[in-house]
Amino acid sequence: MSLKELCQAVESGNASKAEALSRKLLHEGFDPLQMISALTETMNKLGELFARLEIFLPQLMLAGEALTAVVDILRPLIMERGEKGASKGKVVLGVVKGDLHEIGKNIVKLMLETNGFEVKDVGYDVDSLTFIKEAEAMGADIIGASSLMTTTMPGQKEIIELLKEKGMRDRYKVVIGGAPTGQEWADLIGADLYCEDATSAPRLMAELLNKH
Amino acid sequence: MSTPYRLWEIIQRSNTGPHCDEDDFLPKIFTPKLQEVIKKYDIRYDSEIPLPTDDDLADRVWQAGWELFREVGLYNTDTHRMIKVSDDEIKEALYMIKGAYWVGAGKDAVLWIHRRVEDPEPPFCIFSPDITCDENLHHSMCLAYLKEPLLDGFCAPILEDTMGQKISSGSPTEINGCTQHIYNLRLAAKQVGRPGVFLVAVGTAEHDTGQIAVSDNEWGVRTTDSRLVGTLSEFKTADTLLNRVVHYAQYGCYTGNLTGPIYGGWCLGSEGVAVTLVAYSLSGLCIHGAIYNQHFPFHLHWGSNTTRELLWPISVAGQAMARNSKLLNTSNGFSNAGPMTEMVFYETACHALVSTVCGWHLWEMASARNKYRNRATPMEARLGMEVGHAVARQAMTREQANELALRLLSKYEDKAADAPKGKEYQECYDAATALPIPEHFDMYRRVKDELADMGVDFPF
Repeated sequence: MSLKELCQAVESGNASKAEALSRKLLHEGFDPLQMISALTETMNKLGELFARLEIFLPQLMLAGEALTAVVDILRPLIMERGEKGASKGKVVLGVVKGDLHEIGKNIVKLMLETNGFEVKDVGYDVDSLTFIKEAEAMGADIIGASSLMTTTMPGQKEIIELLKEKGMRDRYKVVIGGAPTGQEWADLIGADLYCEDATSAPRLMAELLNKH
Repeated sequence: MSTPYRLWEIIQRSNTGPHCDEDDFLPKIFTPKLQEVIKKYDIRYDSEIPLPTDDDLADRVWQAGWELFREVGLYNTDTHRMIKVSDDEIKEALYMIKGAYWVGAGKDAVLWIHRRVEDPEPPFCIFSPDITCDENLHHSMCLAYLKEPLLDGFCAPILEDTMGQKISSGSPTEINGCTQHIYNLRLAAKQVGRPGVFLVAVGTAEHDTGQIAVSDNEWGVRTTDSRLVGTLSEFKTADTLLNRVVHYAQYGCYTGNLTGPIYGGWCLGSEGVAVTLVAYSLSGLCIHGAIYNQHFPFHLHWGSNTTRELLWPISVAGQAMARNSKLLNTSNGFSNAGPMTEMVFYETACHALVSTVCGWHLWEMASARNKYRNRATPMEARLGMEVGHAVARQAMTREQANELALRLLSKYEDKAADAPKGKEYQECYDAATALPIPEHFDMYRRVKDELADMGVDFPF
């Protein structure tokens, strides 16, 4: 049995096998951080395949679920050792008010989680104030707001305006995305970052947090 | 509506159908069932043949789509229940389809009829830029499209702003935007001398309140016009969408079923998209009471459908539905390239060619991936419709169309990922006269001549 087998189990989306293998590896004395690192590499590889659509969304999602199952086993051990793990930042993520389309948001969530971000998924059709309240409750670094319709894009602007009105604009980075949005819209409303696709989101968000 | 007598029996299933956690519906019910029927009916994508000629394959895709719909139904995200329909109800609904509807009013009314595979009858042509546009360009764009000779129906661009305010879904600004949208549209139709033209309206309404606010035979969307009911990808609905189903049926206008299965998403690859298109059509018929389908399958990353992995399911599903039903189906093109590029003309021509020969009606053209404001013009749609008319009239076979599609694909497929965005409407058209500038017209003409040299026998 090896780390490679664990990575293969995650890659094939076999959560129960991945859980069993991770327990065995721990029993054999494997370092949980080393396991997380190998699995992150696996997910990044899958992310690249998905970016080229050499695999499809269900496969990526299943692998994500398998990874989550393993991380749930490893996390307490890492915490016990007083190590923070590889958390790159806390993100409140959702689809703005009036918008029921969430496929893009779900892909971004997966990519962020598998790249070391902590994500609070607030779902779809989310009121602007809810984004802010959830960010406060989580102690988030980033508010990520997705919009799939031109008539719901104002929800992204509203989040930023509310943050300004409450004197909280400096507290959170606001990241936007979704098919009708773009850099021009991000500039217009004063968003900190526009993410064109899910694959680049973890890198861009990490850069955003490191920059400030 | 083809199934009004079933409206309330079916709507009730939102509250009585099998319960399912929303997080489980796609990964645990929809996609596994889709994988199962793809395997069971032996459906295989062949990238070498974007337009297959295998009747048996088309019939298997029909059966797979039927089974998929019967088993998964449509998931209501508000009630967390699956609205399911039986085999007998599907059969009854299919039997009740008329296969021909008069749409539009007065002298502008048009008979819209079912098409078969390799049908010599030209497709019904709905022009639509699909995109949003600046408030001050909306009326001009409506005029420009409504001037198109081959136009049988029109779906106008979408407003993002009204009276200088950003339109926000479900808010008063949306109702105002919808009112402005239909007034611009009706005015433009009257000005070009097509007051009764068949309209699909209003795209500015994302929320049901916006749609319902503009139902009025005197000044708004008429009963001779059409409205669309969307589905959330994949196979999900919500009360705000079902509200439209009820309103359109009771108002008496023509309901269209709007769906965009995503290649690379929960409906997997080309095989899954083909099966899903059929299943969506049955869902539109049985649950939305639609008289026609408006399908726009698209690539998860690119948002387009003119490359072969999308042309294949368009082709196969079109044949499946044309051979096994009297459904009216429109094929909505999404190009990678934007206006006033040669690429958008090639893409539109190829999409229209494949769709027409496989039994679809046409809905062209969402240029530049339907992403950028003002980036669509009637010229690319015109070329697509002209190709549709030409290849139907000359009774082009699937073999011939496949050969031509491969030639066209070779002109743009390798540029799909980094396609040029092209220009905005007002850079391609004189907004005052709503006519194309010479450079734009000349580019269209050059590509049309090239297509004629390839064997497309344009009637004019």
